[in-house]
Amino acid sequence: MNNRPTFRGYRRENGKVGIRNHVAVIPTTGISNTAAQNVSKIIHGAEALTHPFGELQFGKDLELFFRTVIGVGSNPNVAAAVVIGLEPDWTDKIAAGIAETGKPVASFYLERHGDLATIERAARKAKEFMHYASEIKPCEIDLSELVVGIKCSESDTTSGLASNPTIAQVVEHLLELGATVMFGETSELTGAEHIIADRFKSIKEQEKFRRVYNEYAEFIESKHAHLLGSQPTQGNIHGGLSTIEEKAFGNIQKIGNAMIDGVLEPGEAPPGRGLWFMNTSSDAAEVLTLFAAAGSTLQIMSTGQGNIVGNPVVPVIKLSANPLTVSVMSEHIDLNVSGLLSREITLEQAGDMLMNMVLRTAGGRLTSSEVLGHREFLPPKLFRSA
Amino acid sequence: MEHKVLAHKPQDSVGVAITNIATGERVSGIVTENDSRFTLEARDNIPLGHKIALRAVAAGEKIIIYGWSCGYASQPIAAGEHVHVHNMKSARWS
Repeated sequence: MNNRPTFRGYRRENGKVGIRNHVAVIPTTGISNTAAQNVSKIIHGAEALTHPFGELQFGKDLELFFRTVIGVGSNPNVAAAVVIGLEPDWTDKIAAGIAETGKPVASFYLERHGDLATIERAARKAKEFMHYASEIKPCEIDLSELVVGIKCSESDTTSGLASNPTIAQVVEHLLELGATVMFGETSELTGAEHIIADRFKSIKEQEKFRRVYNEYAEFIESKHAHLLGSQPTQGNIHGGLSTIEEKAFGNIQKIGNAMIDGVLEPGEAPPGRGLWFMNTSSDAAEVLTLFAAAGSTLQIMSTGQGNIVGNPVVPVIKLSANPLTVSVMSEHIDLNVSGLLSREITLEQAGDMLMNMVLRTAGGRLTSSEVLGHREFLPPKLFRSA
Repeated sequence: MEHKVLAHKPQDSVGVAITNIATGERVSGIVTENDSRFTLEARDNIPLGHKIALRAVAAGEKIIIYGWSCGYASQPIAAGEHVHVHNMKSARWS
């Protein structure tokens, strides 16, 4: 036999593989949050994915909302989903989108029923789904079936020097094994966008990248706003980063020397394996939500100053090379690679440590963000509602 | 001497303090690309993670990091000075 790395994962009805086995309770509007949270309180382990949106959105903003919520419900880390909305049409649209994966889904409407009756009915269904999920047996899965999102956050100079190159070691290894990796943060490529453009395997996708990048840059510049403090963030500046270009060069260290297969719309699932660029902002909770919507089952996040974000359905492995952060915020950091700065460890060793953490997490080790209860679910909003 | 500065490439204008550095301190650094070593004297306090100029940079001159332009000097910078938003600006975004 071979020595390819494997993990114990959950094979879903549509053939995709999850590394977690959640029952999701998904409100379709902000005012369904209360019912979803109550179901989650009654049914131990059912995850309420609360968010403030889903009303009076229209056009591309509404399309993105549906793609994000349906995508997260469809994520292979979710075994079954309960959808709670105000009225039947958009609620059923979301439930039907998730049901295309073949997983069990049920929808409930608050209009004509109210909170109490809806909570009882939805909680009974969530209980049934918890029993169902608990009997799904994990099986041996080849590592090539992992879909990994990579992100850096509250970055500082240690990110570009050490933690992002560590991620690159794992990205290159995962791609060699045939896995799927996605990265994003369009405007955070500013200054290094030409390097990313040159990495696309096809001219068609390279042109798509240039168009998407230019549109984002023009949008930002059209606001004529002072960006220092927003991008780079105040945290980045405290950590020593001075300009967007410096931050961008640190950011792109995450993909190492890998070539890119194509460009994804926000929340769009990659059409094949390989490395994919998703057009996103750099807001950590938003990007992790969009990666989850695109089917990422594991996220790797470097942090310099200490971002604490998590995601309700996808575990986030956090690594940091900042010796102060790994000491004063140790509860948030899954992997300390500060030895790279002191040169007590080599980049290859750091890469092996992170690969080991990827395998352990895929095999069930809970990440710091999961244990600490970080469940940030943030569907992005493109423009104001009608 | 234990290194206190790391730089990415030999042509970089600045390096990163991997620990707090005090004004007047003579520190050693390593270029990660080729493991070459250098020493310089800090003219300012450089906090952990902040940049120190490895050579003089004229006002308006590009500041090279990762071997690429990452902005420009908004005022003359001497070797050993703290380089940050007070004397380094983006060439792309204001």
